[in-house]
Amino acid sequence: MTFTAWLKTITFYDIFVGMKVTMKHMVHYRPVTLQYPHEKRTLPDNYRGMLALLRYDDGTEKCVGCDLCEAACPSRVIRVVSAEVPGEPTKRYSKEYYMDMTRCLFCGLCVDACPVDALGMTREFEWSVYDKRQLHLNKEQLLAIGDRSFPVREKQLELQHPNVAFFNVAFKHLPQKPG
Amino acid sequence: MESLEGKRGLPRIKPPFPATHGLYNKPTVVNNIETLANLPYIVGRGPEWFASIGSPPKSTGTRVFCVSGHVKQPGNYEVPMGVTFRELIYEHAGGMRSDKPLKAFIPGGASAPFLTPSHLDVKLDFESVAAAGSMLGSGGVTVMEEGTDMVWAALRLMEFFYHESCGKCSPCREGSSWLVQTMRRIVAKRGQMQDLETLVDLCKNIEGRTVCAFGDASVAPIMSTLKHWRPEYVTLIQEAESANLIKLEPAGVRH
Amino acid sequence: MDNITAEHVRLTIDGISISVPKGTLVIEAARRVGVMIPHFCYHPKLKPDANCRMCLVEVERMPKLQTSCSTVATEGMTVRTATTVVHNAHKSVLEFILANHPLDCPVCDQGGKCDLQDFSHQYTATSRFAETKRIFQKEYFSPLIETQMNRCVQCLRCVRYCDEVMDVKALAPIGRGTMTEIKSFGAHPLDCEFCGGCVQICPVGAITSRLSMYEYRPWMLKRADTVCMFCGDGCQITVQTKDQELIEVNSAQGAGRNSGDLCARGFFGFRAASHPDRLTHPLIRRNGALVEATWEEALEFVAEHTKRLKLSHGPQAFGGLISGRCTNEELYLFQKFMRLTIGTNNLDSSARYGHINGVQAMRSVQGTHRWTVTFEDIVQADVLLLIGTNITEANPITGLKVKEAVKKHEATLLTIEAIQPAIGTISNISNLSKQHVCVAPSQFGAAVLGLLKAVVEGNHIDSTLRQQAPDYVSAVSQAIQQLDWEDLAVSTGVSSESFVQMAASLAGGRRVVALAGQTLLRSQGAYGVCLNLLDLLLLTGKLTAQGCGFAPLAEENNDQGAVEMGAVSALLPGVLDLTDRDARDQITRAWKEDLPVATGATLIEMIGLAQTGIIKGLFIVGENPVGSLPPQTGVKEALSKLDLLVCQELFLTETAALAHVVLPAASAMEKAGTFTNTEGHVQAVRPAIDPVGDSRPDWEILSAFSVFLGAPLEYGDAKEILKEIRAVIPGYGSLGPSPIPPAVDPAAVDRYMNEGYRRDLATRYTLPARDVRQDGTVQLGLTQSLFHSGKLSTYSTGLLQIEPSGLLQMNPVDAARLGLDAGDRVRLSNGQGKFTTTVKVLDRVPEGLAWLPDHFAQDALRLFDCVVDPDTKVPSYRTASVSVVKTA
Repeated sequence: MTFTAWLKTITFYDIFVGMKVTMKHMVHYRPVTLQYPHEKRTLPDNYRGMLALLRYDDGTEKCVGCDLCEAACPSRVIRVVSAEVPGEPTKRYSKEYYMDMTRCLFCGLCVDACPVDALGMTREFEWSVYDKRQLHLNKEQLLAIGDRSFPVREKQLELQHPNVAFFNVAFKHLPQKPG
Repeated sequence: MESLEGKRGLPRIKPPFPATHGLYNKPTVVNNIETLANLPYIVGRGPEWFASIGSPPKSTGTRVFCVSGHVKQPGNYEVPMGVTFRELIYEHAGGMRSDKPLKAFIPGGASAPFLTPSHLDVKLDFESVAAAGSMLGSGGVTVMEEGTDMVWAALRLMEFFYHESCGKCSPCREGSSWLVQTMRRIVAKRGQMQDLETLVDLCKNIEGRTVCAFGDASVAPIMSTLKHWRPEYVTLIQEAESANLIKLEPAGVRH
Repeated sequence: MDNITAEHVRLTIDGISISVPKGTLVIEAARRVGVMIPHFCYHPKLKPDANCRMCLVEVERMPKLQTSCSTVATEGMTVRTATTVVHNAHKSVLEFILANHPLDCPVCDQGGKCDLQDFSHQYTATSRFAETKRIFQKEYFSPLIETQMNRCVQCLRCVRYCDEVMDVKALAPIGRGTMTEIKSFGAHPLDCEFCGGCVQICPVGAITSRLSMYEYRPWMLKRADTVCMFCGDGCQITVQTKDQELIEVNSAQGAGRNSGDLCARGFFGFRAASHPDRLTHPLIRRNGALVEATWEEALEFVAEHTKRLKLSHGPQAFGGLISGRCTNEELYLFQKFMRLTIGTNNLDSSARYGHINGVQAMRSVQGTHRWTVTFEDIVQADVLLLIGTNITEANPITGLKVKEAVKKHEATLLTIEAIQPAIGTISNISNLSKQHVCVAPSQFGAAVLGLLKAVVEGNHIDSTLRQQAPDYVSAVSQAIQQLDWEDLAVSTGVSSESFVQMAASLAGGRRVVALAGQTLLRSQGAYGVCLNLLDLLLLTGKLTAQGCGFAPLAEENNDQGAVEMGAVSALLPGVLDLTDRDARDQITRAWKEDLPVATGATLIEMIGLAQTGIIKGLFIVGENPVGSLPPQTGVKEALSKLDLLVCQELFLTETAALAHVVLPAASAMEKAGTFTNTEGHVQAVRPAIDPVGDSRPDWEILSAFSVFLGAPLEYGDAKEILKEIRAVIPGYGSLGPSPIPPAVDPAAVDRYMNEGYRRDLATRYTLPARDVRQDGTVQLGLTQSLFHSGKLSTYSTGLLQIEPSGLLQMNPVDAARLGLDAGDRVRLSNGQGKFTTTVKVLDRVPEGLAWLPDHFAQDALRLFDCVVDPDTKVPSYRTASVSVVKTA
């Protein structure tokens, strides 16, 4: 054995080399554990958290009840019952909207599918419950989540050209769909 | 024929042609009053006499030309075929109304492509006008003097076609509406450079794909004005761009 | 068919060579090769319009692109549909169409089944369109059909369908150029036949159904191919359901006897099955009221009381009534149950109300119980004689075949109807007829006698017949000569010239089909009139010839099946007489049990026997005699006297309200089986939803009865019953594309011409009693409306939107004479009672007549007398003389 090699063996040099990073951390103690729930991570902007239904700035629901999210969902989480808006014949909305969050993958395909941007994903992830049934969300709950997370709302389209401006007002003079 | 039968005035599918299945499904010949007005004379004086007038062998006889536009004496002029446009406009119709130079003229009604002053010596017969790139058509000669905005002229004709389009087939019906709206935008100084490409593309898509020749006719003004007076279009568009009147909203931006 | 080997031409499409019959369009030829050329305005049922320009293809030696929907294939043509030029043409036309099409896909009901969507996806069409799209004001169109004209692509399919196929012409394009929109023909909301044809044929979402608006997306729906449960035409429908809910009904182009056409009942009437009033639990009468019970309790109750009554009074104390709406399997099982388990021949079905007249007539003369012609024969006929059909309202799909024959094949239409030619919101068959005779229903017999007289006097009798059966010919001629032209003219109101002309047209036809409808078949003396009609066809040599025949139209969907399954007291399955020894032996062998031989009672007779207390127990399946028969027959008292009344019903009807046990039955939407349509074509019925609540199919209930009674008739499913039917009835049940109709039995015809006719010649060839009309009275008639069928359709929310109640339909002249306006309340009264209703003025009602749709007329039945035919025992109660007085 050479002298250097013998010295390295005696003084456990290789071990110290290997432990350099560990020692450095021991000396320069920098905690990386977040003490949740007192400290929370900042989530990225495109974080896919709890689903929400959105509104326009005048408070109307955006959802038109087109069932595209229902079709896009790979886990068949969403169930939509569409109907005519009461009092505004021929305008469509979702009378009932159920999402079974126990099966949701949070893939965001439904948000992509929505043609009117009625669905959004929030940054809420603290949704543990003791009773699974509380994760079967209905429309009111989803709208409430949306109201919490999306304070800035999209402007309701106000059509300017006289040719289409008449779409701004609903067709109130037409009779509602028969039962 | 459809109107006479009490139906909407839409063109029929041919074949069968009116010669075999026309009015009430009987053999029918449809003729212009002008053609029929010639008949007494042909019968009276003989076909050889008729054939001797004009420029034989194809364009014989006289035609009634309706000269309109910027001339001193607009009106109907019966001249033998073969007379030149120069003669018709300057001699018979008295020349340009304000003696300004001629800018453009349409030789045969709204569906004929425009012709330039270089074509003034073209003879008024079917072959010569066709060779010049237009058509003799109904013989409605419209004259435009220097100072006429050709883009406006094309728009005016396009509005006529849009209004008259029967609405049966998709290219003419939707195409004429689209063309009119684009032309209106260009004239109102809201046009863009890609509008010119769109115009040409649309015209090519309408031509030859319609039920009747109306579609081909409706694109003729735009195509011919673009061919001969493209700089005028470009000027309008450049004015539009410099005036910055168009506010473009990029698609896909979320609020 | 005349041309067996039609001329063929050979052409090449995309390199594939194909031979097609001459006259085929290129787009059709391409479809046969498997090349789908995109199109909007083309439809196989319509004349080509070539307005969408989507189907452009390249044809060699033609300079411009040609529309394949209007180009006829010629020999040696070469067509290319997949070149770049053609592809660009398709893309550009698509771009043009999309230019003014709104971005409505999320809110449009057509999304998922939209032609425009599919083609856009196929061609990934983009739109450079940055201008403003044109829009139309949204207007109210109709309660059931919605239009959103912004989406219209102006293919004019709806207009052409309504004009060419339906002959209603309710839709029209208004405006010019881009501003063309489709509206109803006239400045009012849509008022038409509501056949749903425009909804089905629109390629985009411009015309949609309001009944199921916004309720579904096409990918969520489950389909069931079944047969409509309303009229006797037997149209094939596809019922779409979602989560056990009936969503909508479609039909497939070219499918079924209806070739994809439907009527208002078929298209909008399906929600009758899911009405909230449907019975869901068995009911037993305890302490005078009906209370819910379990199936075990109900079945035991029935079994206990049946055994008791059978022991004390014997099997003849029972009777059974079944509806002609049940499947063949149920009808067969019912008559087997009554004959074997109960042991009586007292059974009848709703075929007794009229259809039996036609069937008996056919059996007596030509020896068949089915038509000898098919719908195709009607379309190919050159002379069609319609008597008492009101075909566009009662049997609209057969009516469409008649319309097709007249419009496309130039058939001569001769009509003897209680309608006047008048243009109205629904089609009127007499508008299309060459010769029309308008008579009151009670005088149909006189009109037929008039025709016979014209045939005899006009020397139109077939010469071979004269030689074959001289006695018959002379007897008929003599009987006919007894009648006077003047008397006939007074009775019918029609001069002799009309009959002479009609007879000449009839005799001159080569393929003659005579259709007799419910207005005739349910009237008094209808059996005799049918025999006279058959005499007419026989005499002119038109009964046995190819493509000729007599066609009685059935009212309910399985009236024909009811007769064929033997749900008739005097007939066994296969329409064999109960008195026929061989038939009885054959059935006994098949069933391995003896049949009761005593003649059974028919409908009215059973009510009479119940009244006198001989019949103590009645099994009623789907029938409602209390609501259908006039009170003059004493039906309510008779049924109240019964010791045991068992009803199997969908809803709590008037009869079920009197019952001791009410069992919930499954509707046609919830069970499997077969229906036989008026042609005799047997078609499969498939369940679309599960039985509602605790209801079971009728055959299961009957089977359960038999088990509880100790004489089990058990079957695993409906198919097993069908197998047994096939074993019992030789040659039955050709479930296939088109039936092979039976041929006229020459032996039967011979028998008829030798002695059969003698039986009632004298009574048949006398004029029916004349109607004496007093001032202030009209001849009230019960009719069928286009929008309803029996009482079942009055539970359909869709159909109630169109016709929510029955109005008295009167001629404007009569209305003026009586001082009435449309909407006035009037009281109808005669010696029997009173009835209040509202007036509707209708041009097509003949003077002196007034119509009341029988679907809402339960209370009006008291005005009518019931006369029972001595031969066929059919009760007739459809006409009465009433005075009309305006009330507040």
